[in-house]
This record gives sequence, C-alpha cells and structure tokens, in this order.
Amino acid sequence: MIRISRQRAQDVAYGAIGILAFLALWEYIGVNQLAGLTWPPLSTVLAYLFDPSRQALFTRAMSASFSMVGAGYVAGTLIGVVLACVAHLVVPLREGLGRFSSVVHSIPSIALAPLFIILLSKDWSGMAIATLNVYFIVFIATQSGLAAATRAHHNVFTTLGSGRLTRLVRLEAPAALPSIVSGLKYAVPAAFIGAIIGEWFGATRGLGLLMVSAMQNFQIPLLWSAVLLTSAGSLVSFGLMSLVERYVYARYR
Amino acid sequence: MSGSSILLDHVGKDFEMDDGRKVVAVEDVRLEIGSGEFVALIGPSGCGKSTLLRMLAALEQPSRGRVTVDGKAPEELSRNHRLGVAFQDHALLPWLSVEANIALPFRIANRSVDRARITDLISLVGLKGFEKARPSQLSGGMRQRVSIARALVLKPDVLLLDEPFGALDAVTRRQMNLELQRIWQEQHISTLLVTHSVDEALFLSDRVVVMSGRPGSILKEVTVPFGRPRNPEVMRSAEFHALEDELTEALEQRGVAA
Repeated sequence: MIRISRQRAQDVAYGAIGILAFLALWEYIGVNQLAGLTWPPLSTVLAYLFDPSRQALFTRAMSASFSMVGAGYVAGTLIGVVLACVAHLVVPLREGLGRFSSVVHSIPSIALAPLFIILLSKDWSGMAIATLNVYFIVFIATQSGLAAATRAHHNVFTTLGSGRLTRLVRLEAPAALPSIVSGLKYAVPAAFIGAIIGEWFGATRGLGLLMVSAMQNFQIPLLWSAVLLTSAGSLVSFGLMSLVERYVYARYR
Repeated sequence: MSGSSILLDHVGKDFEMDDGRKVVAVEDVRLEIGSGEFVALIGPSGCGKSTLLRMLAALEQPSRGRVTVDGKAPEELSRNHRLGVAFQDHALLPWLSVEANIALPFRIANRSVDRARITDLISLVGLKGFEKARPSQLSGGMRQRVSIARALVLKPDVLLLDEPFGALDAVTRRQMNLELQRIWQEQHISTLLVTHSVDEALFLSDRVVVMSGRPGSILKEVTVPFGRPRNPEVMRSAEFHALEDELTEALEQRGVAA
C-alpha cells in the first residue's frame, strides 16, 4: 500500500516537474524572442487573459464553444452507442453500418464544414462536426466492447436460457463498458477539434471565431489566449474521463 | 429423489477440421442417468466427455442420435431455466458481487429474486460474510463454490459439472469434494460430473462411466457400492482402492495411447 502510494506520488511529482519545465521553456522562448514576434511569453498571455476588461469577452466565447463541444459530445455518444447496439443485434446491418461509419470518418471534417454551414446554420456547424467526430470513435469503441464478453460467460447465459435483450443488458453491455469509456476519453479532444473547426467557418461567437479574427488582425496575445483556453478545457475534460476510466477498469474487468 | 432422467441415445459427434477432414469425436454413446442419480464420466483428455456434457447443456448438437431429458430436448430445458451448469472456468461476472452472481439466474429467468434462497445457498457453500465480495477478491475454491451455488439457485432438474475443480490444488479439491457431496445430499438432483480424477468420481458418484480415447465411446461402467453420506474415511478403505485401481487400469488400457 505504502509502496503504491509512493509510486503514485513520484508519478505526480514527475508530471508536475514536466509541466513546469514546459511552461518555463515557453516563458523563456517568449521573453528572449527566440521564435520571433508570434511567440509571446506565457506571462504576457496570462496577463492578457485575466485582464478584467476582457472577462466578458472570454466568458462569452468559452460558454459558446464549450456548449457546442458538450452538445456534440452528448449527441455523438448517443448516436454512436445506439448505432453500435443496432449493428450488434441486427446481424445483416452489422457490416454495412461499420463500413458506412468508416467512409464518413475517412472524409476530413474540414471538407464537410462548408456543407454543414449551408445545410445547418453557421452556429450549429461546430456542434455537427463535433458530433460526427465523437460518433465514430464511440461507435467503434462500443462495437468492439460488445464483442468483448468471453465465450465462457456466453455459455453461462446460454445454459441459463437467456433472451437476446437480457444478454445484451446483463452481459455484453457491462463487458463493453471499459472499451466504451476509453472511447469516450479519446472522443474528448475530437469533440473540441470538431467544434473549433466548425467555428472557423463563420460562427458568430466562440473561441474558434476569436482565433480566426485574432490571426487576421495580428492580435498575438488574443490568439494564444483562445488556444490556451481551448487546450485547458480539453485537457481538464480528458483528465476527468481518465478518472472515470480508472474506476470502470477496476470494476468491470 | 428428485430431478429428471437423462438419456443419451446412441449419440455421436463429428467435428470438421480446417482442411475439410472429418474427425469423429464421439462414437455411438448410450448413457442413461436415472432420476436423482449422480453419474461421473471419466476418460483421457480429448475423449469427448466434455462434448457429451455440452450436448446436455444445449451448447452443442449431436451429429447422430438424440439427447433428451425426460423426453425433452436440452434446449427446451435451458429455455425454461431448468439447467444448472458449472464449468472449470467459474465464469462469474467480475462486476457483480457474490450475492448478485448467485442471483443472476433469477434475473435471466425474469423472476423476482428469492433472497432467502440466496442466503441459504451462500451459507450452504460456506461463503457467509462474503456476500458483497467481488470474484477478484476470492480464492479459486471460493469462486468455484459461488459458481456451484449459481448452478443450484433455481433448483434445476439437471446439474452438469464440467471439471468444476480441475483448476484447484489437491487439498482444496478434496475439500470441495466433501462440500459438493454435502450440498448434493440436500437435493439429489440428477447430476453428470465430468472429471479427470478417479477418486473424485468414486467419492461423489453413484456410478462411474469410463470413456476411451478418440473416437470417444463407453469402455466400462462401475456402480459405486458406498452408502451415503460418505465421509472421507471411505477413500482410505481397501474397497475404494480396489475400485480406484480397476478404473485407473481401464483408463490406461487404450485411452492414453490414442
């Protein structure tokens, strides 16, 4: 027990040292202008970001983007899980749905973005692309998870006279949870990428819009602030999902 | 006496190999298990004894002949939740507690869970105090006891045990044999036990059936003369040793060479 916690403390310490070193390097390069004018020191970016006069701007952009990310994440997860269950239960549809998903996924979302803007409104295309990105990852993770139950467990359900739905709910779904949760973890950055790309194509607010307009107006600290906020949101969500994943792995495997 | 009578009527089983060759795994086996009888099936590895059990468990179809329980197909029995099976791999669900694993057959049968029945079984298999434990927190022997409790919980017509103690060490195995006998004593279900172990077969069953190697067929049947309940002293008697030698010899005749 003590050894494990020491190991853990060591991991955390190394992680913290790594992050601090990264941030220090960022500051150093910026202060000495080693990478030119477009690389500001971290302190400049933070000062810009936390300037009280810009609170409203960033809050509005963040709530717009993060709600698109969240809505896309939830919608993509639902579609992915439901389609994977359908593919699992209805054998004739299985291969078709898998191929369809692969084809959709193999089209770069940046190529689809203009289509969404025409088909949907400008403000929803971020969510649409996030949904698409998340759906594919969750679909694949759920599909492989549903096949994860062992033959021995299936035999038990067969001899006990289980119906198809009972088998799905009591055996295949719980056995799929670790895989699904891993998929959900990796879907987090995909949702952020989707939402930001969607915003680049003409959204009326959001962090993606801030990035584009900052780039075009050479407002370097603003650009970096928007990137920093997006990255922080993605990393924190990813970290939370890692905690959920750890719990699920301990319990369901 | 309770339970159903089992009939394997001139049963055969072929398997198709990858290269298209046909392998006869079981050849013309006729075996009857009376109501409330405990029959042990022994034989060398790959003799088809597990295949016979899997046919009774509705997991495999015979290529020839018929398998019936009280005249009905095993599939019908499983559909009506009347089969109790414990495998060598305990196959407990890792995300459920001991209690919930034993309650699983109720859930699968869509019946309300009989709490009293589960409490009784948990104490019968000696797992009081471990109700909330997960399989990963239990020893191999304890997991196997949960697996047997799960097989018994719906009071099945037929109990099928496929080397349930095969993965346990000798001491635990001996102990589990004693406990299985005690448990079985309570409800005399018609039982088929597949095992490698001659003394396990002799100690537990009313009749021992010896199978030959591939293709599997019945070589010899021995009626076990010991009364019940049997205590471990039986295993030290001269009669027990004589039967053990006789069965071991039968096993070695052709089986191992195959």
